[in-house]
Amino acid sequence: MTARIQAPAEPILSVRGIVNRFGKQVVHDKLNLDIARGEIIGIAGGSGSGKSVLLKTLVGLHQPDAGEVRLNGKAVASIGAAEKAALIGMLFQQGALFSSLSVAQNIMLPMREHTALPDEEQERIAAMKLALAGLPADSGIKYPSALSGGMVKRAAFARALALDPKILFLDEPTSDLDPIAASGIDALIRQLNESLGITVVIVTHDLTTLLTLCGRIAVLVDRKITVDTADMLMQSDHPWIHDYFHGPRAAGVMQARKLSHGN
Amino acid sequence: MISVPANQQQVSAAPSSPTLAVSGDGDRLVFAGALEILTLPEARSALKPWLKLGSARALDIGGLDSLDTPGALFLCGLRDKGAELTGVRAEHQALLDLICGLDLKPLPKVKFVPRWRQIVIQLGKGVHDARHEALDVITFLGRTASWTINALMHPACLRPASISRFVAETGINALPIIGLMAFMIAIVIGYQGVAQLRPYGGEDFTINLVAVSVLREMGVLITAIMVAGRSGSAFTAEIGVMQTRAEVDALKVMGIEPMQVLVVPRVIALVITLPLLTFFADIMGLIGGAVIAQFQLGVSPTQYLTRLPHVVDGSDLFVGLFKAPIFALFIAVVGCMHGLRVSGSAESVGRETTRAVVKSIFLVLVLDAFFSILFEKLGV
Repeated sequence: MTARIQAPAEPILSVRGIVNRFGKQVVHDKLNLDIARGEIIGIAGGSGSGKSVLLKTLVGLHQPDAGEVRLNGKAVASIGAAEKAALIGMLFQQGALFSSLSVAQNIMLPMREHTALPDEEQERIAAMKLALAGLPADSGIKYPSALSGGMVKRAAFARALALDPKILFLDEPTSDLDPIAASGIDALIRQLNESLGITVVIVTHDLTTLLTLCGRIAVLVDRKITVDTADMLMQSDHPWIHDYFHGPRAAGVMQARKLSHGN
Repeated sequence: MISVPANQQQVSAAPSSPTLAVSGDGDRLVFAGALEILTLPEARSALKPWLKLGSARALDIGGLDSLDTPGALFLCGLRDKGAELTGVRAEHQALLDLICGLDLKPLPKVKFVPRWRQIVIQLGKGVHDARHEALDVITFLGRTASWTINALMHPACLRPASISRFVAETGINALPIIGLMAFMIAIVIGYQGVAQLRPYGGEDFTINLVAVSVLREMGVLITAIMVAGRSGSAFTAEIGVMQTRAEVDALKVMGIEPMQVLVVPRVIALVITLPLLTFFADIMGLIGGAVIAQFQLGVSPTQYLTRLPHVVDGSDLFVGLFKAPIFALFIAVVGCMHGLRVSGSAESVGRETTRAVVKSIFLVLVLDAFFSILFEKLGV
């Protein structure tokens, strides 16, 4: 896991010279980032460092002031709706499940919109996605308001996977969850990455997720981005990065990580 | 083509148009290309004649260069029916193992209720709810009255700052629209009155018609309906949003009673403003009557003013103004009650706001009908 991932010839996502500013405040100053196919990359940074804006820029929800995002070899702004839906899956922090639709209808919505499959086939696929996300089949007819926080995340996962995306963007997938549910989500991310080969981009504050799951970590600090493996970042002499990975919370996670590596 | 590590799906160069090639004959079929969610219908139709055949069916999927989870689900379904998959690549095998290994159950069906039964059920629910709603309004009215009296007896508990803010929001800001509405309504009534009364030579009575109906009914009704839509709904939405963000609970935890800080100032403010707005609406309605008198009847504004005291008296004005604070009380109470009823989700704010507006306008009209009969019997 700690081995450095070799960037292949063509990354699935490449960011060149992204600049984002709000008024006079520059949030991102000429960011460059390459994400390889099949890797799990974490995006970390302090509050207000522009993690969410970066994520929105990556999926094309936010137009940067300068620079370009290329997804699967194409400029993200020029990708058509159907192609984008098949390429990108996104898990929003609050789930963003449509409250007027049941969980199964939420999952079937992108299929209904972009494929011509008959209803029963869509239902079978929706049931499979639910099982893949670790939800029982009878949660499919429930409405989002009837789900617990962990189930909302899993249902949102199932919806993000509806069209088998090649790249999955996760915004705080483990926030607001108890440690058991959070570990469940971590295991789910790993399973999806390993068995479906999905590239995963995680924006998170959860050190456990960052240090145990992510092959590389992109740290947003001082309007710039520093990308490296956790082990290399631990040796960084930048004060913020040093504090981030050497605080009391990080120490606990590192200890657990060493233990699990020993086993 | 990019070289991709094992166990990862191939991404074809043109993902927008994946194709599936089906070949072979007899009981042996060969799939090549992409078996994905978009090519599933092709796969299904290609297999139809084949599925009718008997045993010894084999499917070669070695030529597939992409397989996604719906495709794997489809293959798992075939395997369950007795088909044999041959030439499976290692990366596809991992996916097949994952998908076939899932404990798949069909989605439960939502119970279907026939239309006529739905209507009966809704009718019963409606009656049941109506009874509860009536009880709730009465209970909340009582609680509000008790807290208001408490606040009036202990003026330290009154919040003059928030009362004056609500007076400004519900009163001063509403002046232009309410003035305009009252003016227009008076013109409409006057216009119709002239048209209907002229054949009998009684068009002069239009002044009586406009003045009496504006002062007794129209002024206060228009104002109350406008305020219910404008301020009653705002009360529900404001308190409702606080409720969704747990701000109301935060007040309770701090030992501050929401009734006292959220409900009482709004009720007092609206009870103060609605009579004032009604008076303003009455004036604007009478001005509308003057305009009609001038242009339809040729009665000058000075003549109109000297005629007014003969056609209406203080009791007409009093009847209208008397109803205003009572309507205000109900509008504010219903608005606040529905705001506090909001639970959790944002959509319930919308739902409760709609209910509050519908219910307060309904109550205003019912009370108005009641007062009409009452004043008729009292001979006021």
